Amino acid sequence: MTLYTVDTLLSLVLLSVLFAFGSSRVPALIKVMAFQGIVVSIIPFFITPDMGTGAVIFTLATLVIRGVIIPLSLHLAIKKVAVQRDVAPIVGYHASLFCGLALIVAAAVISRYLNIPSISDSALLFPAAISLLVTGMFLLMARRNAIAMVIGYIMLENGIYLTGTTFSTQARHIVEFGILLDVLAGVMIMAIILQNIKQTFDDVDTSLLRTLKE
Amino acid sequence: MVELVFVTPFVTGLLAFVLPKTLSRQLLVFTGAVHLVLSLLLWKNSPRAFFAEYFAVTPEGLLSLLVISLLFFLISIYTIGYLKAHQLKSENIFTGFMLLFLSTMTMVTLSDHIMVLWIAIEATTLASAPLIYTHRSGASLEATWKYVLICSVGIAMALLGSLFLTLSMELGGVTAALSFSALSPVAGQLDPAWLKAGFIFIVVGYGTKMGLAPMHTWLPDAHSEAPSPASALLSGVLLNCAYLGIFKTNKIMVAAGLSDFSGTILIVFGLLSIVAAATYILKQTEYKRMLAYSSIENMGIIALGTGIGGLGVYGAVICMIHHSLIKSSLFLSSGNILMGYKDRLIANTGQMAKKMPKTFVAFFAGFAGISGFPPFGIFIGELFIIMAAFKTGHYLAAVIFIFSLCVIFAGFARQVMAICFGTPADTGDGPSSDLKDETFKETPGLVWPQYVLLLTSLILCFFIPDALYQTIVDAVHAIGGGLQ
Repeated sequence: MTLYTVDTLLSLVLLSVLFAFGSSRVPALIKVMAFQGIVVSIIPFFITPDMGTGAVIFTLATLVIRGVIIPLSLHLAIKKVAVQRDVAPIVGYHASLFCGLALIVAAAVISRYLNIPSISDSALLFPAAISLLVTGMFLLMARRNAIAMVIGYIMLENGIYLTGTTFSTQARHIVEFGILLDVLAGVMIMAIILQNIKQTFDDVDTSLLRTLKE
Repeated sequence: MVELVFVTPFVTGLLAFVLPKTLSRQLLVFTGAVHLVLSLLLWKNSPRAFFAEYFAVTPEGLLSLLVISLLFFLISIYTIGYLKAHQLKSENIFTGFMLLFLSTMTMVTLSDHIMVLWIAIEATTLASAPLIYTHRSGASLEATWKYVLICSVGIAMALLGSLFLTLSMELGGVTAALSFSALSPVAGQLDPAWLKAGFIFIVVGYGTKMGLAPMHTWLPDAHSEAPSPASALLSGVLLNCAYLGIFKTNKIMVAAGLSDFSGTILIVFGLLSIVAAATYILKQTEYKRMLAYSSIENMGIIALGTGIGGLGVYGAVICMIHHSLIKSSLFLSSGNILMGYKDRLIANTGQMAKKMPKTFVAFFAGFAGISGFPPFGIFIGELFIIMAAFKTGHYLAAVIFIFSLCVIFAGFARQVMAICFGTPADTGDGPSSDLKDETFKETPGLVWPQYVLLLTSLILCFFIPDALYQTIVDAVHAIGGGLQ
């Protein structure tokens, strides 16, 4: 029963990827990312057989940070500066959606050939993790809006977190928490830079950031 | 207690945010001195860490720690003079993050757990980003943005690589702790396919931070936009910290009998970086960017030496130590040049031998050292790497390496000659020549740190203390290197 729950949740993650590829507005993108953060961080509740108190606390902390604090800090960053709201795609939305679908199919095919014992009971776990990784990269490269790039980075991090939860040999929770804090601090610093970019250039289009080159 | 070495600068760094300006300047130097003493104590009686699961004193860690400590102490002395001359608006933020940066880099050298190493290296990115944005200009904002985004994404790849290492443990049925020292003895049982995948991701990830081509694009921007003491730290020690991550992972690869695979990857990335540096250094118009490309070259040389193995690893470690000493002195001197001429462009400098004789001596000696002239250590390191390349049959690599060294020397020499002896171009956009010297004085604090750094490099060529020599040999022995 729980296995189906996991796969249902993961299909939501895959849907969120497609939504992110189709969104042209920054606030919508942030909402998709918050939703994705929440879904990704509750997955350990369904795949770990008996969780100790430490594991529960850590998973809840992940939920709060990935699902609430990170999206909220980005939301506040754009609210403060009232940023231009279009994500300035380099690759168009329809092409992006098509690429997203192709990437998900490719991830599903590839993960069938990888021999990973601990995830064999859930059909979608590894494909979803790979899709998040690759699509995060895609957003980073295919959008000129700085906020969309930060969101791409967060999706990439979500993918790595999902990959981590699939392996049984895991680091201690204190270490995992350290990783989470690093990610959080990184996003906070990016949000601060976003505000400064907006104040300096009056826009967050990264094509303005072209003065330093050879 | 090992952890004290990185907890101390962390606490004083937090203090520096709230203390008055002059006090936090003194705190910077004071912490540098305390840190040096603590590091030397670690050398004397390498103690066990309190959290032995996460931290350990290793030979390669000790080497990098000593370099970090010595450099930071000298740079902190220079920083006082620099801050007096500049009157930064947000000086407390600068000194505070300098200390936090020191703390995170120290943590890198002492971590043994694979994930803790990742946490520490990512923390160095976060602690150094505000330093690059110190001048609050559009260009420095762009450099900071590139630095944070490229390095964060790069290091995320290293996290994925570290996860693959845990997967290779799982598939191999290894139940040891997730630390470098625990994995090396059982490396043979790890699943080789995932270990290889993990190594590739880790090299790409930490290689981004180390400045290996083609992931180096953030490096020239960050190094040229940061204030000179911060550039000296970035180039002198931060790059070494990232290299340490690759070095430690390579240790597991060698122990698992995959040294051919890991060696080839490191040689390819090394040569790419050296060739990229040779291509770009020829047409540099700014002296700080030129120094940054020279850092990319040296990181390439270090990766190449590590990849070749044997004597090459010894050469790589020698290059690493001397590059830190010489390059940080060059960046400090470039700070003086910037203060003297108020311009980043090589074309608007000139006649430095006359205008700033003391800085000229440091800058020119540093140039000779970094280009690999005999009395300096880089010469010995490069010679060892070339010898090792011929001995192991990497003829093509050796030829590309030697050719690029010649090109880089030619490009570097032309620019340095222009700065030191050339006549400034009177294009009109630079400041007129009689304005230049009046505002800038070469106070002892702004030149002596460079002299001490260069002198240390010079002395280390002729006389290596036994403890230091033994530690280098221990460090390179673990990845199949030695003096044969």
